[in-house]
Amino acid sequence: MDALIIIFITALIGLFVGMMKKPNLTLVISVLGLSVAFVVMSYYGKYSSLFNNFDGLKFDTYHWLFAELVIGLSLLITISGFQYFKNEIEHTADYYGLLYFSVCGALVLIGSTNFFMFFLGVEILSIPVYVLVGIKKSNLLSSEASIKYFFTGSFATAILLFGIALVYGATGTFDFSELQTLFDANSPMAIVGILFIFAALLFKIGAVPFHFWSPDVYEGSPNPVTAHMGTVVKVAGLTSIVTLFGHTFSAATDIVVPLFYVTTIGSLFMGYLSALKQTNFRRLIAYSGISNTGFAMLTLFSGNFISLWIFLLGYTAATLGLLTISQVLEKSNSDEIVNWKGIGYKNPFLGVVLLVFFLSLAGIPPLTGFFAKMILLINTYENHPIMVYLTLITSIIGAFLYIRFILNAFAKESNAEQIRIHPLNIFVLSVCTLVVFFSWIIILYV
Amino acid sequence: MELLILPLVIALLSYLIPAKGVKYFGLVASLVILALTIGHLLQFNVESYVAILNPKKELPFGLTFKLGYDSLSFILVLLVNSVIPLILLSNFNKELASNKSFTALVFFMQVGLNGVFLAQDGMLFYIFWEITLIPIFLILYWFGQQNNNKVLLKFFIYTLLGSLAMLLSIVVIGITARSYDYETLAIFGAIIPAKTACWISCGFLLAFAIKIPLFPFHTWQPSTYTTAPMAGTMLLSALMLKMALYGMIKWMIPLGFTGIESIKWLVISLGLIGVVYGAVIAIKQNDIKTLFAYASISHVGLIAAAIMIYSTTVLEVAIIQMINHSIVAIGLFLAADILESRTNTRDLYALGGIAKLAPNFGFWFATITFVSISVPFTAGFFGEFLLIKELFEAHWFAGFSAATTLVFGAVYMLRAYQLSMFGAPKLATFEDLKWNEILVFAVLLTAAILLGLFPQFVIDFVKPSIIKIQELTTYDLK
Repeated sequence: MDALIIIFITALIGLFVGMMKKPNLTLVISVLGLSVAFVVMSYYGKYSSLFNNFDGLKFDTYHWLFAELVIGLSLLITISGFQYFKNEIEHTADYYGLLYFSVCGALVLIGSTNFFMFFLGVEILSIPVYVLVGIKKSNLLSSEASIKYFFTGSFATAILLFGIALVYGATGTFDFSELQTLFDANSPMAIVGILFIFAALLFKIGAVPFHFWSPDVYEGSPNPVTAHMGTVVKVAGLTSIVTLFGHTFSAATDIVVPLFYVTTIGSLFMGYLSALKQTNFRRLIAYSGISNTGFAMLTLFSGNFISLWIFLLGYTAATLGLLTISQVLEKSNSDEIVNWKGIGYKNPFLGVVLLVFFLSLAGIPPLTGFFAKMILLINTYENHPIMVYLTLITSIIGAFLYIRFILNAFAKESNAEQIRIHPLNIFVLSVCTLVVFFSWIIILYV
Repeated sequence: MELLILPLVIALLSYLIPAKGVKYFGLVASLVILALTIGHLLQFNVESYVAILNPKKELPFGLTFKLGYDSLSFILVLLVNSVIPLILLSNFNKELASNKSFTALVFFMQVGLNGVFLAQDGMLFYIFWEITLIPIFLILYWFGQQNNNKVLLKFFIYTLLGSLAMLLSIVVIGITARSYDYETLAIFGAIIPAKTACWISCGFLLAFAIKIPLFPFHTWQPSTYTTAPMAGTMLLSALMLKMALYGMIKWMIPLGFTGIESIKWLVISLGLIGVVYGAVIAIKQNDIKTLFAYASISHVGLIAAAIMIYSTTVLEVAIIQMINHSIVAIGLFLAADILESRTNTRDLYALGGIAKLAPNFGFWFATITFVSISVPFTAGFFGEFLLIKELFEAHWFAGFSAATTLVFGAVYMLRAYQLSMFGAPKLATFEDLKWNEILVFAVLLTAAILLGLFPQFVIDFVKPSIIKIQELTTYDLK
């Protein structure tokens, strides 16, 4: 709760300082604010909070981990996006303000213990993102993406609200822990309700069959916003969907498991198969994100938070790193994949980190991506072996996709330019690389 | 532990060494690792098992992360650590040797290879198995021929496909056994239902058949070998291939023991088809590297087929034959590279009369050719004859097809030698061997002859651990 307030205040300060067109000061304040929030969050529950009696937000051991992940990610996004919005000085204020409001929403969503806070979280998370996507008003793609995201997104929100209302009608409670006992799988109203909620959440995390917005929106938004959507929004959405459908509605498991199958398999295959034909880098990332969402949704079967967390850690670190590289290359028109040719060869640092991120996404040991997938598979195999086989097949398609990209990026004869990387971006890339390399050690202490 | 950490540290250090000195650094460092391995050898009692890493703490999911060696693992670690200096030495006078990334990647490779042979935990075995893929991929990509993207993509995806099948097998048996410790897995391998066991061994088989490569899975190999730089080909054929053969002995058969009967003859047939098929294609090849690649398919097909018989003698001899194959592979690919780099062609018909121009090369190439066709007093003679004898006892036809390798081997090797070395010189000059190349050939010849004269040393060395593995598979759980 206190961390949330700190981030909110940081957002407000960032908004006003940003308006004075002092980007450096804004960055310092934001980093300071988020770091304090990170530290406060890590002491969560170890001191008496200002709002001890408030039940709407509770971070138990697992949700606490996700909250830390979200704060850490937004810290990195801030740092990596600094360069971008320094050039777009008009938008600095909106960017910092809206980004942190959205992070607040993510924290509320992760920590929510009842549907009221849950819905609040979803809205606070989404609305700033609608605006952020269209922040480059003069850019047609950006505006299109914003409109698209806003309309489909608000529709999904309406469905979500409808679902919550139906569940409330069937059970008479908003509270997750009460729902766990009161939920009656024989009540049609409740079932329809949770299906609506499921659909809306699938939209938020960009899973099949509600994934169509994500490539367009990823392509159209400014790079840091894409990073925000690909990491923070996905973490928050996946946490809430696993909380709800892995735990709260566990009584309805028999009814929703076929749906899990369809959506997970759909996401896994649709993402990578569509990605094979992409020529635009951020569309590729979007489709690979859809597939990785499918991987993460395997935790729906087991409800295991820790495997979800490790997977998300590896996935978000790699995605954030890749989008940072794309931003570094923005001047050489990095959106088109053909322009990546020879980048890794001419810029060894970029090449190595690119290699590490892609290999981690492809699930090659000893990187975190592999260990995360391994745990997912071990957890899933016992009850749903068929999912494991399909996952392994998609892994091969994914590996093909990533290796092809690596081969392109490391091509020798090319006119690729040498690029000066801003120290802040070097910092972000190094942190992401270290996370991808070493964070799997955590599984030994689970 | 230093067998893994030292190469890693050296790999990282080689980026800090000035480009001029990196080749000396690499060679000396690899010799230091070899000396260290020999130090381990001197303290090693063949009956014992030496634990390198044995975490006491309970790890989640039944992971144990156990590392250690018995005599079977150790002889392969010794092989890896003695082959790496030879590879670096044969590269010594090339431009490649002064490349920092190349030296580093070779040592990264060494970490992975040592890890594969030291792993006593299923998941750890898989992890190291996959780790070897990245350095070799980069070596092939950065230092291989230009425009080999398609070949590499095929190589990578093919290998990954096999690895994932193996991962599935490991996960399945690990979940049954609730532990990934080798001994537990092997004990469970003896008691799980035959059908499950059969699938488990099929998963392993796919990975190993692609890596070895066995007959229908070999299509990646000739193109990869020909586009690869010399060191890459040597690493692939002399070392990575041994991972798969070792995996068959140590992992595939014990872990799927109850189901192994049903795939035994499948593997033997595939191996023997490979023997004949590889040899027949090799006879018609004019590209010298492709010829050696198919020769390699033919040789390892025999080893893989024999391993499936799984008697103590066969396994001991298979180890000797594996070492012999490493010797032959390094020698032949070095010779092929000498021909290619000095004449800019791999076509046998464009070569000829080189023995006159370069008598030293003529001599040493002849010795390695003889080692390869298994003349008496070399390791291959002993190994091949015993393997063929064992196959013959299993089924006369198996023995018969395996025995063709002796004839065919002589045909394609002597043909290659004759076309390139004898006849009227088609070239004006041919630079004779340099000191490092002579040294490599001499070491190889010495090793082959020593192994041919005293194979009993190796047999006695690996016998205890092979007997132990076989005991595990007949373990009675009560």
